[in-house]
Amino acid sequence: MHRYRFILTRPLQFLPVVLGVSLITFVLVRLIPGDPARVLLGARATPTAIANIRAQYGLDEPIWLQYLYFLRNLAHGEMGTSIVFRIDVLDLIVTRIEPTVALVLASVLLSVLIAVPLAALAARNRGRPVDHLVRIVSTFGIGFPPFWLGLMLILFLAVQVPLFPVSGYGTSVGEKLAHLVLPALTVALSLSTVLLRSLRAAMIEGLKSDVATAARARGMPEGVVFWRHVLPNAVAPTINLLAVNVGWLIGSTVVVESVFALPGMGQLLVRAIFSRDYMVVQAIAMVFACATVLVNLAADIATVAVDPRVKL
Amino acid sequence: MSAPLLSIRDLDVVARSREGDRPLLEGISLDLARGEVLGLVGESGSGKSLLCRTIVGLMPSPALVRTGGKILLKDQDIAGADPASLRRLRGAEIGMIFQNPSSHLDPVMRIGDQIVEGIAFYRGLGRAAAREAALEIMAQVGFTDPPRQFSSYPHEFSGGMRQRAMIAIALGCDPELLIADEPTTALDVTIQAQILRLLMELRAKRGLSIILITHDLGVVAQTCDRIAVMRQGRVVEVGEKRALLRAPQAAYTRSLIASHPSMPVEDECGEVDDVSDHPVAATDVAGVAGTPAPAAAPATPGRPRPLVEIDDLRVCFPAGGGLFSRRRSFAAVDGVSLSILPGETVGVVGESGSGKSTLARAMLGLTPLTSGHVAFEGESLALKPRATRERLHRHAAMVFQDPFNALNPRFTIGETLAEVLRVQGKVPAARIADRVGELLDLVELDRSFATRRPRSLSGGQCQRAGIARALAVEPRLIVADECIAALDVTIQAQIVALFRRLVRSMELTLVFIAHDLAVVRHLCARVVVMHHGRVVEEGPTEAVFARPRQAYTANLLAAVPSIDPGQSLFGPDPRLTVSPVPGTSRQGTNP
Repeated sequence: MHRYRFILTRPLQFLPVVLGVSLITFVLVRLIPGDPARVLLGARATPTAIANIRAQYGLDEPIWLQYLYFLRNLAHGEMGTSIVFRIDVLDLIVTRIEPTVALVLASVLLSVLIAVPLAALAARNRGRPVDHLVRIVSTFGIGFPPFWLGLMLILFLAVQVPLFPVSGYGTSVGEKLAHLVLPALTVALSLSTVLLRSLRAAMIEGLKSDVATAARARGMPEGVVFWRHVLPNAVAPTINLLAVNVGWLIGSTVVVESVFALPGMGQLLVRAIFSRDYMVVQAIAMVFACATVLVNLAADIATVAVDPRVKL
Repeated sequence: MSAPLLSIRDLDVVARSREGDRPLLEGISLDLARGEVLGLVGESGSGKSLLCRTIVGLMPSPALVRTGGKILLKDQDIAGADPASLRRLRGAEIGMIFQNPSSHLDPVMRIGDQIVEGIAFYRGLGRAAAREAALEIMAQVGFTDPPRQFSSYPHEFSGGMRQRAMIAIALGCDPELLIADEPTTALDVTIQAQILRLLMELRAKRGLSIILITHDLGVVAQTCDRIAVMRQGRVVEVGEKRALLRAPQAAYTRSLIASHPSMPVEDECGEVDDVSDHPVAATDVAGVAGTPAPAAAPATPGRPRPLVEIDDLRVCFPAGGGLFSRRRSFAAVDGVSLSILPGETVGVVGESGSGKSTLARAMLGLTPLTSGHVAFEGESLALKPRATRERLHRHAAMVFQDPFNALNPRFTIGETLAEVLRVQGKVPAARIADRVGELLDLVELDRSFATRRPRSLSGGQCQRAGIARALAVEPRLIVADECIAALDVTIQAQIVALFRRLVRSMELTLVFIAHDLAVVRHLCARVVVMHHGRVVEEGPTEAVFARPRQAYTANLLAAVPSIDPGQSLFGPDPRLTVSPVPGTSRQGTNP
């Protein structure tokens, strides 16, 4: 089991990541022109009211002191209070975390469901029309930006043919799932093209490999050769590619949640940035950073599980 | 003899392209009796592997097409069989094992499962029963602890065990004919002997027929009943082993036998060694040695100063461990002392992992020393690393195992040589072009090779270019690391002959690293035997080979397959020398 020991030591990576991300977002957010107090109170606020708000949230202190306060609070598990919503940032995020996590998971699942069969189809028919078709379609997938894809999906699959809800999230599990289909599909259409290309290349390599030759030489049918020997060997590099793309995936949830009005963290982040809600922006940036580290850890665990040669 | 198990008649295979058909196999006719072992010998590119791929209908590329001939397996023509019935033949009738078990085993599947796959497929057994059968086969092919090793992955095994696993997988399908494509080429001699022995045992136990592809006549002489020699897609000679080796008919077979390194040294089979017959080489002696009296140093009475002195050298590499566990290290070279006199030829032999290559790299300052000393011309690499390395760069050179990858593919051979000459600065810029020509003459390459790139050269030509690059340094010391391992035997013999001439004519000191003991015996005056990073034996080559003092050396020597079938590799084991009995029935998996 010592191959999995890195799971225990890896969380130590969180510390430098959290510190770095907090410092960068803390400073960058405060470099954006604008003042949260002014945004909060509106254009006609009196200077004293603004000063009161600034003092209340510690915004009148020097920036390094604000950062030290922030770190102190962080150590106590406090992320501050949202200036706009006037509730604890963590409580706020907790209410928004579910749609985002659900969206990411559904996107990854859909991507895999799209990418694996298409890659297999293309690789096993290499050079034939099917292969070319899959490659052309996947090139289009890379070319289209997610927000445009999202709008098109709404237009065709929700407005013209009302299969799925246009936007929002719903309350029951069934409703939520129905609301997730189009946003997840939007992300998956982009993500799956990346996976598809990598998988197809790895599968073509695998079909030509000595492992496949040896399996054929002992009379295994082509299907067994492919699904039992080629596919498992093609998966490992794709897992890593997926992990690398998680940053992009999280970024695209911000856009997609806005397009589909999903009440998730991405949407919250956009609103927080516009209203200069420093505390919320910082907190979400850090949640995203930690999520990225966690996903990479998960990818490493998956890689070790898939490929017995890998030691971490 | 009863009807042959396999009979090939007038088989033709071509490479089809727009320019037309290029013949790869022409008119191949061969027979294989039941229980017989047929050796298929020839150089790379002679079509041995292609022939076997054609038999089982697994062409390496769709561009290769069988255009004529018959392949009869048990009197059934399988040459034109449809893909489905061919697939059923593979595995169940004809099993295959390959040269490189590491790449042919599925790295992400347990060894046991890979064996079970075939068993379950062909015998329709359930999981538990198939597992039982797999364990039995594993025991049969020499796994020491099958229940535990069943769940291990290929990378956890040594090369020899991986080849045993390949054999077990093939046997799981219970074939009558086993095609072994260079099954021992990638293995050390002692492991090779074990695998060959295993194949012979399986033949005796199961009545297995075997086609053994190899380039090593020694392997064939030790194992096969009959030999077929292939060259350029044709069978040039086929016959009973002893008769063929004793009285080869074809000229090519004779040269193959003469090239075999275990043949007695007859001073290079009449090749010209005399320097005076090599005008270019002769002028070069003065140019290289640099001093007017190059012979002066070795002729000095008393003890000459060693060129290389190695004293209690250790080279360790980190082996795992890290942040939270104690760092472990692995000593590749573990306390080696050695001194090499100017003009000596020293062979370093040992199995893979014995530390030979690390020693070579340490000698040239290419790897950090953990402890101990390496001195070149009296300068210690440990004490004055910079100055000594500088000196090594100017007076020592290396020739590498893989001639293709050791040359820059974007440089022509001339550019590669000119680069060395420019950097070394020993030859005036105006003379560089001439000197490149001289170097090519020296390694017996035509001067037109200066404008060619490695891609358009054969392996042997590439290695000559590699040697020319080493000579461009005008070195006193050349370290050749397994530099002939990747070449065909006849080419090997040529390169060894080239080294002999160069050493003789240029006062070179040569450290020749090889796992092939016979080659070292040919070339080197002194031999150093390494094992687990230590020197187990050293001395004059003939003395060591004739009377090895250490058991390890003796084992190593005994494991070299002799080209003389009379000197058995396996000792007196009556089971293994049984001649094939016609109609031997298969006995399933009974041991």
